[in-house]
Amino acid sequence: MRSPVRLERRLTQPRWLNSAIPVFSLMGALVVGAVVLLATGKNPLDVYWRILDRGFLSQRAVTGTLRTATPLAFTGMCAAAAFRLGVINIGGEGQLYIGAVGAALVGLWIGGSAPVGITIIVMVLAGMLFGAMYASIVGVLRSQFNTNEIITSLMMNYVAGIVLNYLIFNSRSYWRDPRSVGFPSGKPLEKRTFWPTYEVFSTSVSFGFLLAIAAAIVLWVVYKRSRLGFEIGIIADSPRAARYVGIRTKWTIVAVTAMSGALAGLGGTSQVGDFAHYLDAKGLQLNNFGYTGIVVAALARLNPLGAILVAVLMGGLTNAGYSLQGPDFPSGLVGTLQGLILFTAVAGEILTKYRLRSNRNAVKAVAV
Amino acid sequence: MTNSAVRMTGVVKRFPGVIANDGVNFEVLKGEVHALLGENGAGKSTLSNILTGLYRPDEGSIDLDGTPVSFSSPKAALDAGIGMVHQHFRLVEPFTVAENVILGNPQTAFVIDTDSTVERVADLARRYDMAVDPNAKIWQLSVGEQQRVEILKVLYRGAGVLILDEPTAVLTPIEAEALFKTLRAMTAEGRTVIFISHKLDEVMSVSDRITVLRGGRTVGTVATRDTSTRELAGMMVGRSVEFSRATRRNPGDPGDVVLSLTDVSCEDDRGREALHGIDVTIGRGEIVGVAGVAGNGQRELAEVIAGMRTFTSGRILVGDKPLANGRARSAIADGVAHVPEDRLHTGLAAGHSVEDNIALKNYRTPLLSRFGMLKRNVITSQACDLVTRYDVKTPDTATPVRLLSGGNVQKVLLAREFSTKPKVLIAASPTRGLDVGAIETVRQRLVEAADDGVGILLICEDLEEIMSLADRIVVMYEGRLVADMPAVGATREQLGLLMGGATPETSQ
Amino acid sequence: MSKRLSKKWLPLAVTVALGVGLVACGDDDSSSSDDTTATADTTATADTTATADTTAAPVDSAAPAPSADWAANFTPWEGSKPVACGPEEGQPLKAAWVYVGPINDGGWTQTHDEGRQAVQTHFGDKVETTYKENVPEGEQVGQVIEDLIADGNTVIFGTSFGFQDAFVAAAEKHPDVCFEFATGFKSAPNLSQYYGAAEDTDYLAGMAAGAATKVGKIGYLASFGIPEVVRGINAFTLGARAVNPDATVKIAWVNSWFDPPVERKQAEALVTAGVDVLGMKGVDSPATGDAAKAAGIPWAGYNRDNSANYGDVWLTGTQYHWDVYEIPRLQQVLDGTWTAGNYHGTIADGFVDMSTYGDLVSEETRTKIEAKKAELAANTGGQFTGPIIDNSGKEQLAAGKQHTYGELMAMQYLVEGVDGEIPAG
Repeated sequence: MRSPVRLERRLTQPRWLNSAIPVFSLMGALVVGAVVLLATGKNPLDVYWRILDRGFLSQRAVTGTLRTATPLAFTGMCAAAAFRLGVINIGGEGQLYIGAVGAALVGLWIGGSAPVGITIIVMVLAGMLFGAMYASIVGVLRSQFNTNEIITSLMMNYVAGIVLNYLIFNSRSYWRDPRSVGFPSGKPLEKRTFWPTYEVFSTSVSFGFLLAIAAAIVLWVVYKRSRLGFEIGIIADSPRAARYVGIRTKWTIVAVTAMSGALAGLGGTSQVGDFAHYLDAKGLQLNNFGYTGIVVAALARLNPLGAILVAVLMGGLTNAGYSLQGPDFPSGLVGTLQGLILFTAVAGEILTKYRLRSNRNAVKAVAV
Repeated sequence: MTNSAVRMTGVVKRFPGVIANDGVNFEVLKGEVHALLGENGAGKSTLSNILTGLYRPDEGSIDLDGTPVSFSSPKAALDAGIGMVHQHFRLVEPFTVAENVILGNPQTAFVIDTDSTVERVADLARRYDMAVDPNAKIWQLSVGEQQRVEILKVLYRGAGVLILDEPTAVLTPIEAEALFKTLRAMTAEGRTVIFISHKLDEVMSVSDRITVLRGGRTVGTVATRDTSTRELAGMMVGRSVEFSRATRRNPGDPGDVVLSLTDVSCEDDRGREALHGIDVTIGRGEIVGVAGVAGNGQRELAEVIAGMRTFTSGRILVGDKPLANGRARSAIADGVAHVPEDRLHTGLAAGHSVEDNIALKNYRTPLLSRFGMLKRNVITSQACDLVTRYDVKTPDTATPVRLLSGGNVQKVLLAREFSTKPKVLIAASPTRGLDVGAIETVRQRLVEAADDGVGILLICEDLEEIMSLADRIVVMYEGRLVADMPAVGATREQLGLLMGGATPETSQ
Repeated sequence: MSKRLSKKWLPLAVTVALGVGLVACGDDDSSSSDDTTATADTTATADTTATADTTAAPVDSAAPAPSADWAANFTPWEGSKPVACGPEEGQPLKAAWVYVGPINDGGWTQTHDEGRQAVQTHFGDKVETTYKENVPEGEQVGQVIEDLIADGNTVIFGTSFGFQDAFVAAAEKHPDVCFEFATGFKSAPNLSQYYGAAEDTDYLAGMAAGAATKVGKIGYLASFGIPEVVRGINAFTLGARAVNPDATVKIAWVNSWFDPPVERKQAEALVTAGVDVLGMKGVDSPATGDAAKAAGIPWAGYNRDNSANYGDVWLTGTQYHWDVYEIPRLQQVLDGTWTAGNYHGTIADGFVDMSTYGDLVSEETRTKIEAKKAELAANTGGQFTGPIIDNSGKEQLAAGKQHTYGELMAMQYLVEGVDGEIPAG
């Protein structure tokens, strides 16, 4: 009853595979997608061209793609940072909300008086701090009581959502606009607190996106060059070896979870500073930035720079998806296409770590 | 022989690179408690796994009640009436005793009649004098009670032959006594018990006959009333053979103490006391061998000295400086080097490169890092240097250590440990699993280090290694040091007795 | 341990993430697939409305024909000028709708899309309509609008309150595009607001519910404590007490426009609390109807005629006819006379109406409702005539007075008989 093929772990990952596999999986996705499209009477080339054009090529498209990508880059790095240590923080969603709460608080509080530069810096710090504090609850529970962080971080997402709803819909909080006519909404920040955008080749690049790139570089340096990154690697590789050389595993878990939360918090901060300019309780919750970030991290193989790239791809894919949709192109078909591309990308990822082997030749190997 | 319950003839089982059973002959009579005695690695577990259908022998035959059998799976063996009580229990914690007993039993109907099951389990327990409540949940039970559930499971299935693998390892002396009574009750009814152990005293007290294995072969089968612990120890460890003692450039100086433990106790991972008041000293350049069967506290001893485990009482001095309790970093800084038993996953981070692993103990020093950032080029050059000096065969220093051969893995570990210029080295089974050439190299390195003045605690099950390298030998049994003697003049027989728990008085 | 964990758990985490993500963006995949056949190939054909969903009875046969013109309910912004957002000569006018939910939500969004289909049918090849569904509130909206404009759409309809800021921003950025926004309040030279007096029909639905309750307790699902919804609650309660003076209305806040599982749960909680009729306001899906069906109690719906699917529990409810406004407005665009302003539709122009009466509404009650409907058609908001006491006992409106339009738009109290309070009032 054995299957004719099986997966065998590769001892080493050849470098060429790392670049070849994504290309092949994308091509595979496009071929399968084409079959689906042909079956529903669409011209695949037209559809693919539209995805490319509206996601990545036309001038306005890139602006929009970067906007959509910004929060995903942050939540992607949030997930990647924690996963690297083996801490499965899926609380990026809630940490992003709380980061936005912190940033909005500061923006409302000193936005009218403090110098613009200071305000932005303090907003960034507050967003990171709020996200970090919120995430470190998960970290402390994990390191002190060995609580399963998947459960706790997921639950904390719901709590954060309730906090947001409370602040805007169910209370007259500092964040709520007392003048909001009809529908409760967040108090708008002063115009001068709005984060700058930069025009690069007639594409608007937000400050938040640049911040994401900077964070990715810092994160990359931490992993590659710092003592902390070294220790994180050892803990993830072998907790016993970490104990053997006296690495403070518990402390590191808390620190890394906090760092992870700070990144998600920055994502929320960027939503406030770059785009919404108030605490947008509904908007933050309806987009699933945090959950999508987990997919981003997985596709980026936990590499922070990769997370930026994948976030941009996902952003483009999302926008192109809305662009495709319409009376003759149901959103179900859009979802199918997006799902196909993501699925093949993940499947391809497996092949960089494992290889397919025929079971006939493998029998001898099993005994060894 | 009509009275034979199990007969295994010429059983051979090979694993890659190892012959675990090399023509074992083993016969158990109906209604007896038959002990299977041997050191770790003697082939006891392989033999019992063959008997219970987990492995199939490469050669040889098995007869059950005089008829040849061949088991394709543990289930087939169980159906034929051979049941095994494993050292590690296989129970479902949230379920009750009765539920666990009937779990996986093919006779269990789809709809479970709880009341009658509970009644039958209770009957069975009473018959063999095993106090256990059929309605209790497993997690509520003590280890001894859980073991009874395992035995009940096998009995419920109607097994005529029970194999117990080191059953007393987890029991208190009183629980062990109760177990022996139960075993007697079972044999009185005509069931057969195979009792696997390495403890001489308990084998003497519980068994009718004893088969001793050594190095995968049968040494012999004796009737318990016709033998002595002394004879068994000799059979177990082998007659003294001539072995060459390593030649030392500088003999050690026991007077210049580099490590001393005074009344040190600690707990194991499950919170039971694993070391009971250990006293031992190591002098400069002295190699002290710790003999003992695995699981008697050796790992905890190594970890306590290396700062990986906190001790609950006592005092440890490195040189004349007290060791910070449970702080691996300060132990390293104080000059304690440690070659752990589990090289690849404790001593090293297997997925990391050779150079990262070599830097594992000094990456925090100013040599290798500044302002929290690593100096990667120094890390690489340090590794290149040591790889050359210790003749590590690796394509480059960026290769993950998991890709290296066992001998080279150990060389990486030793290179790192010695490069820290330690005062003390704890070496746990440093040559286990290595090929002959690598064993020679590793032993050579240890002797050189001792010649250079490092005090070495050599924790090892291999008596030959201890006797050829150590200046002094201590024996560990159940968390205590039961003997401390010069290596010259110590005999295998004597050590075997001590390792098996015979008291020093009886061994003299 | 950690390493193993990470390997073992990573796929799980991704699965959880995808799972949660999917739950949140809901039944889009499953649901849009079943109407693929209906919309994909028959978009512009005349019989779309009929074939796509036979349950949609756009105008109740019993209802009187609209007695007034829509223009009577439209007020241009002060100083507003015509915006030329029409097509080039010989080209069709391209108009787009942006929806927050799926087009087959059985409620709000579906009603809007039925309006769009009616527009398409009315204009034929003179107008080319499209839509984007499941657009989350927040940053995505702006991007979707940009994309629609890049596609050549010059009139864009927005149908969810949370889109408002994005629409205002887009209107500023694209002065040559006409924006139509439902249920908001902000204005711009090229941005109109359109909505209607649902509180009139909510009152009539309340009458049906009041007649249906035996224990005198009605459960009512409400989305947010905003004036639009509060008006609905009050009108419904006044209507119920007009036929059943002792009836009370127990409120459950959903805190969302569209969240079918939560809607269902809240409705079930109301049933558990002892109500024997369910009503709703501002919630987009018919999940409340499912709960009513399960409990076997009458249900007054909202948004859309669900009499066919929920026949055994259906009473009646407010029904929107968005095309009443949309068709003449697009005609204005074609004519080059479109100006921005505020539209508040009524029973009189046919924008709001009662959906089909269910069998549970007796002949006697129907007659009463129809009589009151004629009265409200002539005097919208007439149900809010004093004396009105709020549920804390305070008089909110003196005898003989009627709330002004401004007061209605800012209503922030609950009338006597409502069991509940406005969150963070």
